[in-house]
Amino acid sequence: MSEGLLQVQDIEVRYGAIRALKGVSFEVYEGEVVALLGANGAGKTTTQKTVSGMLQPAIGQILFDGERIDGIPAHKLISMGICHVPEGRRVFPRMTVHENLEMGAFRFKRPDAQLLEHVLELFPRLRERIKQHAGTLSGGEQQMLAIGRALMGKPRLLLLDEPSMGLAPLIVKQIFDIVREINSSGVTVLIVEQNAAQALALANRGYVLETGEIVLTGTGRELLADDRVRAAYLGEEIAAVS
Amino acid sequence: MNRSSSETLNRLLLCLAGALVLALMWGPQEGNFGNYWFAIKESLFGPRVLVFLALGVLAFLAMTFWPRVVPFLTRPGVWPMVAGALTVVASQTLMHWADQVGDAKFGTVASAAANTNGLAPLASAFFGGLCWAMLVIVVLLLAAGIVSGLRNFGWAAAVLSVVSAVIAYVSHSAVVDFVGGVDHSLGVYVCIVGYLVLLTAGLVVAMSHAQVANTRRAVNQALGWRPGLPLVLIGAVLGAISLATSTWFSPANRNATLADTRNLFRGTGLAPIAVQYLAWLGWTIFAISLVLSGVASYRRIRPLGWAGAALGAIGVLLTVLTLYRISSIGADLHVDSADGPWQNLGAGGWMTCAALFLIGAGGYVAATAPRHSERTVEVDSDAVASGRSASGAFLTAPGAVRSGLMVAIAVALFYPPTANGFWQSVLVSEIGIYVLLAVGLNVVVGWAGLLDLGFIAFYAIGSYTTAYLVGSLPVKPPSWLEMSPLLAIPFAVVICLLAGLALGAPTLRLRGDYLAIVTLGFGEIIRIVAVNADGVTNGSQGPQSQVPHPVINLGPVKITWGLNQLQYWYLLLVFVLVVVLAFRRLENSRIGRSWAAIREDEVAAQATGINTFRVKLLAFAIGASTSGVAGVFFASQIGFFTPDNFLLNNSILVVAYVVFGGMGSLPGAIAGAALLTWLPEFLKDQVPAADRQMWIGAVVLLMMIFRPGGLIPARRRAVELSGFDQRQRLEPVAVPAGEGL
Ligand SMILES: Nc1ncnc2c1ncn2[C@@H]1O[C@H](COP(=O)(O)OP(=O)(O)O)[C@@H](O)[C@H]1O
Ligand SMILES: [Mg+2]
Repeated sequence: MSEGLLQVQDIEVRYGAIRALKGVSFEVYEGEVVALLGANGAGKTTTQKTVSGMLQPAIGQILFDGERIDGIPAHKLISMGICHVPEGRRVFPRMTVHENLEMGAFRFKRPDAQLLEHVLELFPRLRERIKQHAGTLSGGEQQMLAIGRALMGKPRLLLLDEPSMGLAPLIVKQIFDIVREINSSGVTVLIVEQNAAQALALANRGYVLETGEIVLTGTGRELLADDRVRAAYLGEEIAAVS
Repeated sequence: MNRSSSETLNRLLLCLAGALVLALMWGPQEGNFGNYWFAIKESLFGPRVLVFLALGVLAFLAMTFWPRVVPFLTRPGVWPMVAGALTVVASQTLMHWADQVGDAKFGTVASAAANTNGLAPLASAFFGGLCWAMLVIVVLLLAAGIVSGLRNFGWAAAVLSVVSAVIAYVSHSAVVDFVGGVDHSLGVYVCIVGYLVLLTAGLVVAMSHAQVANTRRAVNQALGWRPGLPLVLIGAVLGAISLATSTWFSPANRNATLADTRNLFRGTGLAPIAVQYLAWLGWTIFAISLVLSGVASYRRIRPLGWAGAALGAIGVLLTVLTLYRISSIGADLHVDSADGPWQNLGAGGWMTCAALFLIGAGGYVAATAPRHSERTVEVDSDAVASGRSASGAFLTAPGAVRSGLMVAIAVALFYPPTANGFWQSVLVSEIGIYVLLAVGLNVVVGWAGLLDLGFIAFYAIGSYTTAYLVGSLPVKPPSWLEMSPLLAIPFAVVICLLAGLALGAPTLRLRGDYLAIVTLGFGEIIRIVAVNADGVTNGSQGPQSQVPHPVINLGPVKITWGLNQLQYWYLLLVFVLVVVLAFRRLENSRIGRSWAAIREDEVAAQATGINTFRVKLLAFAIGASTSGVAGVFFASQIGFFTPDNFLLNNSILVVAYVVFGGMGSLPGAIAGAALLTWLPEFLKDQVPAADRQMWIGAVVLLMMIFRPGGLIPARRRAVELSGFDQRQRLEPVAVPAGEGL
């Protein structure tokens, strides 16, 4: 493990005059789950979008498998195995569950039937609703569909943006379990979360972003134990700990 | 209690106010110099206003008791009853019934009939009020059947509908025979269609199994019972009428039927095949193909179906050949100063063509329908909930869509020759061209979801490209490049494609409203350049010399287009057919799917690996080049044009056609454009000229209120609009994702 699968080096991303990321660096090794934590507006989504090619960094570079990928547009990065589940579970509401999953395999001439079967095994709820329009699914089911759709693109690196947002605790647990399962089948995962406790329990390592800069890093357990993390994301008072 | 009574009062007042507005709308609105209020006084204080107030009260009653009416509306037969009754009413108020009588409208014919002695008694009775009495009785019988659930009312209504249709037909023939002269009026046919719809309603009431089921399902069951049979039946009726009684040839104001025509042409050196056709071959082919297709569809025997289809096709060809032969001889003899073939023909020959076509089509549908027709109309969770089929499609029975398509093709092929010159030119320069434009814009607006308000610019570019290539502009092409208009098509396609790319590349990163504004500007720029670049485009005068009419000259095959609109119609049909077939493939291809994805959610589309920019650009370019083809056609058909043919108004109209027809639906775009270009021309005769736009606006408004998906909604839109709860996105709206890249 000398060199990370994904290496983000000192990237700066701007929206017009706003500097959303001010020199962010981190690494993700093959087979890991890495969590990006941070408050609203810290730049987590921006980071993920930059990695998946939807945004371009103004400064800095991104390496995937040792190759520079910054500046390559999203639709090409997918063929390299970077699949993105965007924030807010964006499914195609007027397509059926099946059509949504097929769209996930868009980069292939033909969707892989075996893979489809595998995804449906992972998400039995989707199999039950295979002919239903995605817009009629519940929030949790839509999130599952969004993840399943990304899996249909055969990712090496899966980017998940707040998969637990707005979901009931029980569903969140299910989704995290599935992410763990996906990871154990060999897919590297970069997950953005506000739900720090769950994410860090799952992650090998984590980074904490604050207004466009990385302020803290460590293994999942270290971060869980860190006072600042506990204070900011787990709602505990520093005074009470110290 | 108090609250609800004040609501009721409000509703009553609203209804009355609406009635007064309608009273103002109906009829002339202009005063004169001395008295500005003249028209308003006339419409508000004349006795006429009472009729409108009564309508208002009726509307109020209907709205107040609506909840009690609703359960009945879902019963089988209601909608065909309404549609059929409206059709009959329309035919007996708006349409022409006998061309030789005054302004030919029903009312005129009826009063003429009342003042005429010696007319057949049945016809006198029909025009003297029997027509309305029959309609009222049929509708009352149907209503009674629907409300009481007694089947026998349905049977009675069905029988009476048939009788009424026959009486209408006989009365019309009696009047036409009595008056003499050439007659091309269509009122009676529309009336008969109306009664056939009422017949359907009667049968539905009589035969529906469930007390409360929906008409849609009943109609689909009827259509799916024996795929192809409905077409064969229509063909049988049409063929029998046209072979037995319709006018085939109308020299010197005579209406010669098939038999008369045979006698007329005895010994004129008519080609033997045509003589045989007139004598017995026509009837024989009709009968045999009828038996073949009928048995094929009833017994579901595929080979017979194909045989019926083949014989039908042969029959159509022979009929056309016969018509050509007799009209050529007519031209040689200068009958009624005819100077070429295809003149002085009545509607009969073309109706026979349509009949044979439909019989053949029935055989084809029977031959290709799924063998074991699934009786169960697809069951889907949404469908059950909303009471409609999941796809939002009306016709779900096997073969039903294909049958509908066949009827449309039959009309498109064989109606135009029977239309008069005015309608032929409307068909070409309004309906046909705008259908082509709407099909092109549908790719951009309907499929890729890009609002393009400058679509007509590409049409202009196509027209000017043609004018340049044929040498009609001040700047001449090099002599080796000068060509005939049809050859300009590939050039126009390429140039419009490039223009589309040039406009799209910088602007397609914009979204929604911004894109609309930029394209709108582009459309105006093209027009203004055409007006001002005198040296290149000859300014506001348009091309200096006439753009020649199209010619095809391939050795043995030589077709020249001239002033005859029909020729252009068939050329346009070929264009539309090619474009529609190509686009249908496109819709189901990878590109079509990526358009669907982009329309649904652009970020998600990007995340699944679609090159959103390139795919959108492609839609833009494809739409542009279709528009360019329409431009080539327009230029060479009309000969002279000016920049005023390419106003912003036209762009907006095309958008309206696409939206009206159903965004993203090919048949919708075609139907929308056809209907909305036909309507103003139709209204010309019916309402004061100044009111026309208002009526069209009312139609569009009603459509958008009651059928927001459009005339023939696309599958996905139908789902979107059927009102499922589209869950709110959780993403903060303040930061539109992907914006500002
Ligand atoms: N499209 C955009 N245009 C302008 N500013 C944006 C845009 N998207 C995000 N930002 C800004 O960038 C910063 C980081 O946003 P984001 O990455 O969405 O944060 P997070 O995902 O951590 O909540 C915020 O200050 C936000 O306002
Ligand atoms: Mg975010």
